Amino acid sequence: MMTQLLTTMTGLESTLTTAGIEPTAPLAAVPGGSESGLVIAPMLVVLVAAVASLLLGRWPRVRIGVSLAGGAAYAVVVAAIDWYIVLAPDAPGAATYQVGDWPAPFGITLVVDGLSAFMLTMVAVLGIASLVFSTRVLPEIDRRSYYFPLFHFLALGVTGAFLTGDLFNLFVWFEVMLMASYIFVAYYGGPQHTRAAFWYVSLNLLASAVFLLGVGGIYATTGTLNMADLAQRLADPGAYGLDPTPVVGLFALLLSVFAIKAGLVPFQFWIPTAYRAAPPQISALLAGATKKVGIYAIIRLSFTVLADADVPVELAVPGVGTVIAGDSPLAFVGAALFVMAAASILVGGIGAVGRDSIEGVLAYSSIGQVGFIALPVALAATTGSAELRHFAVVAALVYALNHTLAKGLLFLAVGAIRSATGTSQLSDLGGLAGRSPPLAIGFFVGSLALVGIPPLSGFFGKFLVFDAAARAESAPLLVLLLVGSLLTIAYATRTWNRSFWGARTDAVEEASVDVVQVGVVLVLATAIVAVGVGFEPVYEFADTAASAALDSEAYVDAVDPVEPDDLGTGGGEH
Amino acid sequence: MPPELSVVLAAVALPFVAAVSTPVLYRLLGERTGYAGVAVALASFLLLASQRGTEGTVGLEWIPSLDVALRFYLDGWGLLFAMLACGIGTLIFLYSPAYMHGEPHLARFYTALLAFMGSIVGVALAADLIAIFLFWELTSLCSFVLIGHYTADDSSQYASRMAMFITVGGGLFLLVGLLLLSIVAGDVVGPDAAFNLAAMLETPEAMAEGLREQGLFLPVLALLAIGAGTKSAQVPLHFWLPNAMAAPTPVSAFLHSATMVKVGVYFIGRMRPILVGEEWLFLFATLGLTTMTVCAIMAVAATDIKELLAYSTASHLGLMVAGFGFTSIYGAETGVFHLLNHALFKAALFLVAGIVAHEAGTRNIDNLGGLRHDLPVTAIITVIVALSMAGIPPFNGFYSKELLFEAAVEASHHHDIGVLGVLYPAVAVFGSVFTVLYSLRFLSLFFGDRPDALGHVHRPSTTLVVAPGVLALLAAVVSVEPQLAVDVIVQSGLDATALEHHEMHVSLPTSYSPPVGMSAITIVLGLAAYPFYDRIHDGLNAALDAAPLIAANWWYDAIVGGLTGGGALVGDRIHNGLLRTYATWTLLGTCGLALAGFVAAGTVASSELIDFDAAPAVALVLLVAVVAGLAVALSDSHIAGVLTLSILGFMVAIFYILASAPDLALTQLVVETLVLLIFLLVIEEIPEYYEVSLGKYARDAVVSLAVGATAFITVLVTTDARPEGSTDIARVYAEQAVPEGGGTNIVNVTLVDFRGFDTMGELVVVAMAAISILTLIVMRSGGDDE
Repeated sequence: MMTQLLTTMTGLESTLTTAGIEPTAPLAAVPGGSESGLVIAPMLVVLVAAVASLLLGRWPRVRIGVSLAGGAAYAVVVAAIDWYIVLAPDAPGAATYQVGDWPAPFGITLVVDGLSAFMLTMVAVLGIASLVFSTRVLPEIDRRSYYFPLFHFLALGVTGAFLTGDLFNLFVWFEVMLMASYIFVAYYGGPQHTRAAFWYVSLNLLASAVFLLGVGGIYATTGTLNMADLAQRLADPGAYGLDPTPVVGLFALLLSVFAIKAGLVPFQFWIPTAYRAAPPQISALLAGATKKVGIYAIIRLSFTVLADADVPVELAVPGVGTVIAGDSPLAFVGAALFVMAAASILVGGIGAVGRDSIEGVLAYSSIGQVGFIALPVALAATTGSAELRHFAVVAALVYALNHTLAKGLLFLAVGAIRSATGTSQLSDLGGLAGRSPPLAIGFFVGSLALVGIPPLSGFFGKFLVFDAAARAESAPLLVLLLVGSLLTIAYATRTWNRSFWGARTDAVEEASVDVVQVGVVLVLATAIVAVGVGFEPVYEFADTAASAALDSEAYVDAVDPVEPDDLGTGGGEH
Repeated sequence: MPPELSVVLAAVALPFVAAVSTPVLYRLLGERTGYAGVAVALASFLLLASQRGTEGTVGLEWIPSLDVALRFYLDGWGLLFAMLACGIGTLIFLYSPAYMHGEPHLARFYTALLAFMGSIVGVALAADLIAIFLFWELTSLCSFVLIGHYTADDSSQYASRMAMFITVGGGLFLLVGLLLLSIVAGDVVGPDAAFNLAAMLETPEAMAEGLREQGLFLPVLALLAIGAGTKSAQVPLHFWLPNAMAAPTPVSAFLHSATMVKVGVYFIGRMRPILVGEEWLFLFATLGLTTMTVCAIMAVAATDIKELLAYSTASHLGLMVAGFGFTSIYGAETGVFHLLNHALFKAALFLVAGIVAHEAGTRNIDNLGGLRHDLPVTAIITVIVALSMAGIPPFNGFYSKELLFEAAVEASHHHDIGVLGVLYPAVAVFGSVFTVLYSLRFLSLFFGDRPDALGHVHRPSTTLVVAPGVLALLAAVVSVEPQLAVDVIVQSGLDATALEHHEMHVSLPTSYSPPVGMSAITIVLGLAAYPFYDRIHDGLNAALDAAPLIAANWWYDAIVGGLTGGGALVGDRIHNGLLRTYATWTLLGTCGLALAGFVAAGTVASSELIDFDAAPAVALVLLVAVVAGLAVALSDSHIAGVLTLSILGFMVAIFYILASAPDLALTQLVVETLVLLIFLLVIEEIPEYYEVSLGKYARDAVVSLAVGATAFITVLVTTDARPEGSTDIARVYAEQAVPEGGGTNIVNVTLVDFRGFDTMGELVVVAMAAISILTLIVMRSGGDDE
């Protein structure tokens, strides 16, 4: 292995020399150190779990065992990443894995930094909860239906999206996510599930085409797909002989793709039906994990890649005057996000109040909540103050964390309710609190976390987002946040009163609640309380993640793409 | 002397610990869990009492990064409120077991009640803005759970949701106010004291000045007022309080008269040194007096004894708010002293109402009367506390009302407020007349004749009578010796809320002064109007029935009902189940974003690209493709459309061949052929023809043009921006393919080596596609668990 590596290196060196390119440290660097292997480890773990569970279909119990072991291994690996790469006192802060040992930007780079670690951790917690929950829902069906392999493939897509440092590779993991979640949406096979899946896949395939158009355009314009390389080229386009102006429009294309994943208005159409059609424990992941991939991609590309791009933007609307103006494309991204976030908060919040099933409420709530996450991101993109930008990104991350935990919990609770009563229609439910107090406590905590009651995790999300708006001294933002939060109270109380209080219905009377399912719900409820009560370390982690997202230079240094000087000349002369 | 941290923490934490252990306690003790609550409340009370006379801040770290800490600040005002909560809590826990005998959900009831008590002690002592908000919201939450105690009951659910909506919603406004305050505090007091209220209170003038300089004085004042106003049931957000009477009576007595609803008043008193001024006077005096009068009138219109007491509570909260609103020392004296007096008499009255409802089986005023024969002890208690509520000398309520009159009269001496100087005292007297009226009406339940409808009235158990008895006794002590209460606790509370130190003296008036005259007018008018009580009561109800718009409930119902209906409508309208609509929005959104992005960055394509200089073969292929594209749009059957579409696809394949990309061409041909076949198979299932309106045609044309234009422009500008020659990556790939990749086909080497990771991902996708087909087939054939 080592010799192979060496030959690879020396070979590369000699060809580069003959080609008139000065071989330098970055090109010759072997990605090394214990951290490097850790970077790809979570992907390998889920891939192995996926393939193993695929092969073990004949032995359902073994398959479940392997799946759970895979989940546990994933948790261990993510925890190791958190500690050894990001949080330990002597941690490097970021680490990379160059796939196939091709130096960036020629191969594909995987990167762990504070931001990806934060997102991974968030998803790992919910993913394992959902996995354990799954073992109690579908053992019989799964024997023939490949539920668990698909579950792991979904996790693979999400993990890949968080780790990759390459724009086209991001597209690939998006496709993996899409394919897996497509099947889950269609899983139950009824007409409404098939229809939901059809809508879901149609809109997401549109998004895929747009993604390709954008990525192709970016490669054509800048000559690279590596995000770090892209950041460094956009920051100093003259050195590479580039005209970076099309990047804003191209990034706008990508923004619409990410908005579809995140479910921001007007790209949210697939959400209500898909979340209702998928098995609830998968909807938990769709809302808690894949949605966050959209948010992550927006944050990563906006702040790590695009923030320093040397492209002033200005947009004037006839009759209104200049609506967007700034030195970097962020001004444009921020303005677009403001509009989408505001519309999401209102559409999601108002829509949620009128639903007739719990999933319906949760699905619309997800549209609104992602607005709450996007709003501080928009604020961070438009503000001129570095301090406020950092704070706003922290706010968005903490809010995202709470949404993952709370919405995940609530969807799992819906799963438990459906397992127990066979329904989740508000009209068929009532008096669940008396029937299963532990489930009620879990659901109550989840609902309160959405509302933002202290000392739950949701309070800190709300607190930081409100504080960011207050620090920006933006009255319209504060009004919007207040209206959105009032709507949250309205739908949370309505759902609670109609399903957990009220006269006990027949469905509830005959319900038998699964202990493990409720246990999982309670574990997440405990996590929500713990995050709030012990918020200091969580804040520090989010703070580190925000620093990583905003520190483009550190990201470029970690990935260490070949610079123009190392190649002798600018890109255009060969 | 500084307070003892461990003692303070124990006083706050004890009720929470007890709350958490209640489910276990309930297993052991059953209905006697209430007596454990007595012990807890008494212990907290004694712990707090041991800290009397101390002053200062103690605390624990919580979130150092944000300078948020679990700080507690002890002074007379906080201690008065906290001890009041624990003291009344003790009596409530004593009262509850007998009252709640045989009721369901008792474990939850005591859990919430204990957690509530901890929260209220917390809010009274917290000196960190975030800690205050924490406990503030927890009180609202406990209130929600306790109002909804009878979970199967519609009115409970309605009321609990309303209370949650108003108080937690109001809390959000408070939060914004606190955050704005913290921004100023960060500048004025210091960056590490942004949330430290105790530090802010040390420099109230500087804080006020800082707020005014940053233009935040009025926003902060307004936001805090909304927060406090919702919590303390001020008009027009008072309506949740009467509805909250759906809760069991001990809850009404504890939360919804003596403590939780006073959190707003408490907080107004707390912030008074910082925010007091002319705006403050105008806002709170007006708000308070309006609430006092409107709710006193509503109390006269009430038909249920708890409803009467609820409106009366809101009215008295208005009195306290108005008191603090007046900037003179009398204003602060009113607020502090009435907080104590009201807690004593109103909690007792609620407990009396509970006894009446429990023993007589009704709460309807018209069906009650002459109860002194059945409930003699309760009648004596009621005489004391009802006369206190009415403000009749020498009962304790009289002293604080007298102070309000004094403050109202004084207002015009301190500020140039024009006609308000006359209006304030006039309204205070007017509202108080109604107070006298409904107090007498409540008292009359025990006198006069027994109505025929009233059945047998049971004797209440001793513990039911002890609790209101103790409160009445305390009220009597304060009535006889008001200066004692002042010396024990009120004076120190006053020092914290007043602007300067002032020795407070309370006694019965011995000579004429304007307040004495106002009291006399109030009592005389009240007594004179009492014989007409029924007519006034009926008249008010007739007016309310005639004009529902003046009822606050109506507004709430309209808003919440409208929201629910609107939510259903918005959801169904936007998500109308038509993929066309969804695709239209998605595509137009994408195009709009991209085009705006290009325009914003000033992206321009140079004109030379527009010059067409392709080879004739390429030109011909592209021309055929364009014609085929148009033909697809114009074709009149699905088959023709699909076939024409494949012409377009094959032209693209030929274009690839001409552009020296044979492998792409091959792929394109395979895909095209397969797609054509699948289309032809599926087309059978699609209806032959459906009506499409002209508008839809127009919409589709616009969407198509927008998408085409976006894609075209994207390709145009990126091709234009593309540097001459190959990229670094393409160059390195070409150079490395043979020596390092070991392959002579660069595309292959790229796919399996340079970017092999992508290929692995795509393989996963292909594998999943296969699995998905299997899964869909399996699930279709009956794997459905629904």
